[in-house]
Amino acid sequence: MRVSLPGLYVALGIVLAGLIHVVAVLTLPMLAPRDAQARLAALGPANTMIELPPSAPGRQVMPMMAPDVRYAVCRYDLSQGPVRLRARIADPLWLIAFYTPLGENFYAVVGADMKRPDVDLIIATKDQTVAEVGVDAPEAFDNVVVVTSPVVEGIALIRAPLAGPSRSAKAERALKAANCTPHSSSS
Amino acid sequence: MRALGYFIGTFAVALILGIGSAWYMIERGSPLTTVQAGPWRSWLSEGNPNADPYTRAHLARSGRLPLTSTAARYFVTYTDGRGRALSADCEYSIIGAPINARWWSLAVYDGYGSLVANPSDRYSFNSEEVIRRADGSFHVNLGPKARPENWLPSGSDSDRSLVLVLRIYGARNTDIGGIGQIPVEHLPKIERVRCE
Repeated sequence: MRVSLPGLYVALGIVLAGLIHVVAVLTLPMLAPRDAQARLAALGPANTMIELPPSAPGRQVMPMMAPDVRYAVCRYDLSQGPVRLRARIADPLWLIAFYTPLGENFYAVVGADMKRPDVDLIIATKDQTVAEVGVDAPEAFDNVVVVTSPVVEGIALIRAPLAGPSRSAKAERALKAANCTPHSSSS
Repeated sequence: MRALGYFIGTFAVALILGIGSAWYMIERGSPLTTVQAGPWRSWLSEGNPNADPYTRAHLARSGRLPLTSTAARYFVTYTDGRGRALSADCEYSIIGAPINARWWSLAVYDGYGSLVANPSDRYSFNSEEVIRRADGSFHVNLGPKARPENWLPSGSDSDRSLVLVLRIYGARNTDIGGIGQIPVEHLPKIERVRCE
């Protein structure tokens, strides 16, 4: 039996189209030029808490940011060791979310689930040990949570949704109190 | 020679089909990756580290940092309830039923995801500030000219296309996997009132 020539071309076309489709889908995340990490890197150095300016027309760090949420971001870099993030959750609506540079949210702190307002997190890769840091002052580390980051460079983003029209000043003040610093065992 | 011509033709068609279908499924989504509720579309695994390649590509292209669907749900629409593209030339009546969540916000953007400049600096309405009617529903008037009740301005630049984003934080009804469930009938209805 002989396969007809047009049929052969159609079959070839479908197989090729499928291959091209798969390659395009898999390579696109790597080709995206302005991912969130690149946008945030323009704001300032790593391992510092940076409050994002309130979103306004023509002044948005990332597209489609909520105009009624105030944000603070810490672009962390664990290559020199773990990083510590401390914040006081001023409102149960607050959320602290941790991302890889591709935008994968691997950990989140939900304000409404917290028993106490103070959040004390140490971000470390799975190879970095933070157990010994508590030796000098064990009781001070009772509330510390170690967040294992799958990436050396990532993003911690605090969201403070505004609980009312006149709450922005309060939220911005509360975000200023959040900090992000390289963690050393002497601190 | 003719065989070569056919081969090149086949390759060109395959290129268009392959790239085109990839672009469509990444940009607009498909039943594999999104749920459609009326005009609203929501990417189910956005931000999830175990997301499928389409969702990952969609997220990387968008440059956003969304919460996963256990913390927040995002519903996006480019059209009104009858499938016509949202435009700054038109006035829309958006009627919403109560949403059972800790916080929600309905915001309007232009086609590039930027906020729309307007004299009253109003870009969204959220659950804390929207004016509700006696039955708990809310009516948002989206359009270029000032309107009573909740006026969401779409700016003075006509023939701008618009995008509406409804973000719902801490939905109180969740499924077994903790994903916030928003019944379709509780998502706002978008009706076009008139166009310039």
